[in-house]
Amino acid sequence: MPTQLRKGATTWEVVESEETHYQSSADWDGSSPLLMQCDEEPSRDTANAAGIAIEFPSFVDGRALSIAVLLRTRFGYTGELRAMGATHEDIVHYLVRCGFDVIDVAKNRLPERYLALIDPYSAHYQGSAIQPEQSFQRISRGVNA
Amino acid sequence: MYTYDDFDRTFVTERVAHYREQTERYLAGELAEDEFLQLRLRNGLYIQRLAPMLRVAVPYGNLSSVQLRMLAKIAREYDRGYGHLSTRQNIQFNWPELAEVPDILQDLASVDMHAIQTSGSCIRNVTTDEFAGAAFDEAIDPRPYCELIRQWSTAHPEFDWLPRKFKIAVTGAKEDRAAIAVHDIGLQVTRAPSGSAQFDFFVGGGLGRTPVIGALIGQNVPVQHVLSYLEAIMRVYNRYGRRDNKYKARIKILVRAMGAELFRKKVEQEWHFLKEGSGTVTAEEIARLQSHFIDPDFAAAQDLDFDDLRLQHPKFSRWLAQNVFAHKQPGYASVTLSTKVTGIPPGDVTDKQMDSVAQWSEEFGYGEICISHEQNFVLPHVAQSSLFALWQAACANGLGEANKGQLTDMICCPGGDYCSLANAKSIPVAEAIQRRFDDEDYLHDLGELDVNISGCMNACGHHHVGHIGILGVDKKGSEFYQISVGGHSGHSGEQAALGQILGPSFARDEVPDIIEKILNVYTNNRYSGESFLATFRRIGIDPFKEHVYANAA
Repeated sequence: MPTQLRKGATTWEVVESEETHYQSSADWDGSSPLLMQCDEEPSRDTANAAGIAIEFPSFVDGRALSIAVLLRTRFGYTGELRAMGATHEDIVHYLVRCGFDVIDVAKNRLPERYLALIDPYSAHYQGSAIQPEQSFQRISRGVNA
Repeated sequence: MYTYDDFDRTFVTERVAHYREQTERYLAGELAEDEFLQLRLRNGLYIQRLAPMLRVAVPYGNLSSVQLRMLAKIAREYDRGYGHLSTRQNIQFNWPELAEVPDILQDLASVDMHAIQTSGSCIRNVTTDEFAGAAFDEAIDPRPYCELIRQWSTAHPEFDWLPRKFKIAVTGAKEDRAAIAVHDIGLQVTRAPSGSAQFDFFVGGGLGRTPVIGALIGQNVPVQHVLSYLEAIMRVYNRYGRRDNKYKARIKILVRAMGAELFRKKVEQEWHFLKEGSGTVTAEEIARLQSHFIDPDFAAAQDLDFDDLRLQHPKFSRWLAQNVFAHKQPGYASVTLSTKVTGIPPGDVTDKQMDSVAQWSEEFGYGEICISHEQNFVLPHVAQSSLFALWQAACANGLGEANKGQLTDMICCPGGDYCSLANAKSIPVAEAIQRRFDDEDYLHDLGELDVNISGCMNACGHHHVGHIGILGVDKKGSEFYQISVGGHSGHSGEQAALGQILGPSFARDEVPDIIEKILNVYTNNRYSGESFLATFRRIGIDPFKEHVYANAA
């Protein structure tokens, strides 16, 4: 049973989840959630899946971040988006901002650290999948304010 | 210059707290070495041959006197009394204690500075022309756009885990003093017929083991779309750049593998979706950023001729000719304070020198300082009537060398003395060359001559674009030096070019002799007034090869 961070209505929580059955991109016929690899192409079609997981080969591999952004902002995917594999507490805030709402806690890592590092920053310069506007569109910034 | 508001200050303060927490987890054994490596790199901390090295971000080289005094204090209190100006306009400290780094960052934050993204596979500090905002030949001040890109790229959610490091340079002048052709992205800002700014995007340039001149990918991109166009390029790179081999992971390899045409097509496809989206830069934001870079309150003045002073002080005359650059405002000038003094590693400055430069900037230059990519200090706005006093003060503090652009003003990486990546030392090579060529008249006669030295393939010393480039190589466990001729970074209105390798490499003690032979080929072949580069372009590499290897065969 994977330990996960799940985004609830208002907060994130740590849960133990049942294993989900996924189909790989090659086998995917729409009947099950889809498991994508970092080198695969998301599309409008993909966005119809009843759940998508993307596998992280390493926490320093940022390709899944771009796939997540494309799913959320270009293909209109609103379902569950899960980060699997070699995640790390120090990329959690990137995952959240790129639109993942389920994050597997990697083996031998501490779920409470993941939870504590959901967002170390109170504000961000640029937009993201969960907050599209750039800082200059969100807030009024004066010189030497 | 740009001054922080509460938004910026809050971000940097939170970044310090975040990094402190990361360091504590590492020291408590919760983060493995290779995990912490990724985090400390994104905060400018390398573990070097002898000690950690902290690279502090100096956004596009711009510093206030208050910030420079803080850097002097850090050099004094946490280091051994000096810092090193880098070829990307940053400053590095070579001896901090790992556990003290969060305290250094806190000190930096108190003057609105940080070390965010000065290393690691992310978007690095944006660099520009050291005379930005002052140069006589500037069409548009690039600094507001540098700041726009700095903010956009800081802790970007999607682009902080790239295949490899990513360097952006911007210029707004006729002469490219920012070497935009050899950056991952080089931006040329020009004025559109409408009067607003527009951007040419040169992509996939770079040095390192595969030197390439960047390809023109986007042309005349209007200012409101500059971030969406950047986002399109970054996304193509983040998704398709190679991650299996770090030597093939830079964007230049991707652009070359795809071909510039296909790469452009991919970028344009991506941009099509982004173009009018939330990345669109508002006129208000541009105006806000521009308001940080308005001219100081210049006094009405005439340009001075200095005829009498020149006659009385030939050294001052030489300094005026070499180190003083024409300003857009009559009666003012931009001054280069050279760090290239024989016996001192290029770019090294003491805490006392930093304090002095801070003081001179207040006395003579509106409190503004710039670090140049040639590793010198620049005071961008100095009244010409103050030049003599500034020169005297600079000479008294080891910063008055009249060698900007000359052979002895070498670009040089820290090399094997400090850097664990280096194949060979570079600082002693620079010193040996400075010692050999110490005749000011000869140096002046040689004219503009860029000698660039790197201790390894990573090319931090930009050897590919030196008129004479020197690269440290490892040959069966010994340090050897490969020499190239005819490179150029793109300044002085000349097109950027990569140097051509002369032939087999040389032992360290042979290098000054070889440089002398190369210079003899130049002086024997040049037409009156012809530069080294022009002579090379006319006669080609063969005469250099023949002379250098004449007795070796």
